[in-house]
Amino acid sequence: MTGFIKEFAKGIIISNPVFILALGLCPTLAMSDKLENALGMSAAVLFVLLCSNIVVSSIRKYVPAIMRIPVFIVVIATFVTIVNLVFQAYLPSLYESLGIYLPLVVVNCIILGRAEAFASKNPVTASIADALGIGIGFALAITIIALIREILGTGSLTLGDNTLFTLPVLGEHPITILSLSAGAFLVIGLLLAFFRRIGVAKNE
Amino acid sequence: MPEFLRKLSPLAFLTLVVLVAVTLLVVTESFTGPVVEKRLQQQIIDQMEGMFPNVSDWEFEDDLYTLYTNSEKIGYAFLATGAGYHGEISILVGLEDAETVKGVVILSQTETPGVGSRITEPDFLNQFIGVSIDDIALSQDGGLIDGLTGATISSRAVVDAVKQTAMDKVAQIEGTE
Repeated sequence: MTGFIKEFAKGIIISNPVFILALGLCPTLAMSDKLENALGMSAAVLFVLLCSNIVVSSIRKYVPAIMRIPVFIVVIATFVTIVNLVFQAYLPSLYESLGIYLPLVVVNCIILGRAEAFASKNPVTASIADALGIGIGFALAITIIALIREILGTGSLTLGDNTLFTLPVLGEHPITILSLSAGAFLVIGLLLAFFRRIGVAKNE
Repeated sequence: MPEFLRKLSPLAFLTLVVLVAVTLLVVTESFTGPVVEKRLQQQIIDQMEGMFPNVSDWEFEDDLYTLYTNSEKIGYAFLATGAGYHGEISILVGLEDAETVKGVVILSQTETPGVGSRITEPDFLNQFIGVSIDDIALSQDGGLIDGLTGATISSRAVVDAVKQTAMDKVAQIEGTE
């Protein structure tokens, strides 16, 4: 059980995929403009990562070495397509706003990376812990970025059709650049620097 | 195991994985497909009601909606598909009678944002209202529709699809009467 918690905690902080490993930055940059998009992306990545880790780990002893990567890609692509179909049917507005980034989860290096580096070498329980840790680590990272960008960039926070709150001064004069692409780079850069600073301090 | 069989076994494994994957996807699609279909249908009906505000009833036959207000025929509606710059453009066309356009709405498109995507704007679409089917063509081709600057392919795709499908449907309407 302690092993499970260790694998789980590892992904959230010390090897956070976005802030420490700097993986999966493409969806993080593109889909962190709004809290809603960030949550949708997180759910998709967490689901695909969990399912692919479970499957890859349970078939790891039977996969011929030469067919490893093709098999992993088929497994991941299947789950991504399932997420696509489900979002399209039941969450149409989220499906619209995630656009091309939802199918692109197939080539998200976090997922193939965990399949190849972890799930293909470890038992199922450890792989589940790893997927949950890395998945939640990714979700936390993209959500933090989205919160900063949406609150400062638009002056308010919305979820679905509801406006959760509007800030007094920023509501009228939002820092619009933060909700644009350039703002994504600025916010991620600053946060990466911040977490690198903490991480370095810990290593020493 | 003979040599050739051992060489084939990785391939057999991959084939097996793909078969399982396809089965899973087909099962998922059988659940989600009807939901998506139903919503598209609802979208068409909403747009149709926007185009013909006093429609009270309609018939759907051979991909053609015939619309009625208290059993009096007020028009027709049907879908047209244009070959756009990046992909299919799905269009809902409304006809007042067998000659005149009532309205044109873009249901879905994947044209270049800010360029071809302007085909969804009222400035472009409102040009179709009240135009005779014979006059549907870009103004440079002698018609009454002004194409969008820098988006001739997208504009022409819509114009051609509306005109072609409208002519087919008019033939269908006249054939049944």
